[in-house]
Amino acid sequence: MEYKLNQLKLGIARLDSRHVRLALVILSLTLFVLGAGAPESPGDWGR
Amino acid sequence: MILTIAVFTGLLFGLLRAWLSKRRYEIPQIRHIWLVLIAFLPQWFAFYLPATRRSIPDQWAIVALITSQFLLLAFVGLNSYQQRYRNRLGFWLLGFGLILNLTVILLNGGLMPISPESVSRLVPDAIQGSWQIGSRLGTGKDIVLAVDQTRLWWLSDRFLLKIPGRDVAFSLGDVLIAAGAFFVLCVWDSTQSDLIPTDALKTSTTQRG
Repeated sequence: MEYKLNQLKLGIARLDSRHVRLALVILSLTLFVLGAGAPESPGDWGR
Repeated sequence: MILTIAVFTGLLFGLLRAWLSKRRYEIPQIRHIWLVLIAFLPQWFAFYLPATRRSIPDQWAIVALITSQFLLLAFVGLNSYQQRYRNRLGFWLLGFGLILNLTVILLNGGLMPISPESVSRLVPDAIQGSWQIGSRLGTGKDIVLAVDQTRLWWLSDRFLLKIPGRDVAFSLGDVLIAAGAFFVLCVWDSTQSDLIPTDALKTSTTQRG
């Protein structure tokens, strides 16, 4: 368990600012297109 | 769904492009990300979160949509202004697509119009009474309006795409937004423009003149 926890900590430490920046860019563009776009697909209505 | 595909396709092509040209992928320099998070919040409650979207009245959903889209317009405006010329294309497309959607939404009572014909084609086996003309479609952003009752109908959700298991109706604005997201992630290239900063170019031009 402790070994796995250390591995996880190491993994997180390896995430440099470049990865974080890329994740933020993807997140912001995804939220932007979801907010700005208005496509309609049948969800839970009409079925 | 269809718009998020554009984001990930853009990223994939951008990475492929960098790999083929043996360069490091340049991450787009997007500023004011907090503004997108704040802008999306009202829509998340009004249209996406199952626990709240059913209980929010249509009028509040309309307010949430319009407020949110104006904030997103501010975000894209601030970013377009701050980018170098060659990197602006993606943001211009995002902004133009958003303006088209927002315009048709504002002119038709605050929701994106969709024609009854499109709804019938979208869900041919819809339960009778599950939608009606003049009403909001489910808990989404669309309102069912006849074509002759729709202002700028050509900007409404009039295109249909048959995706196995999930058909979708979308607007011209949606197409531009998808293209914009794709271009921001795929065509981004700060390497060359950063070699000669814009200010330095201006100075050298002035000195020559």
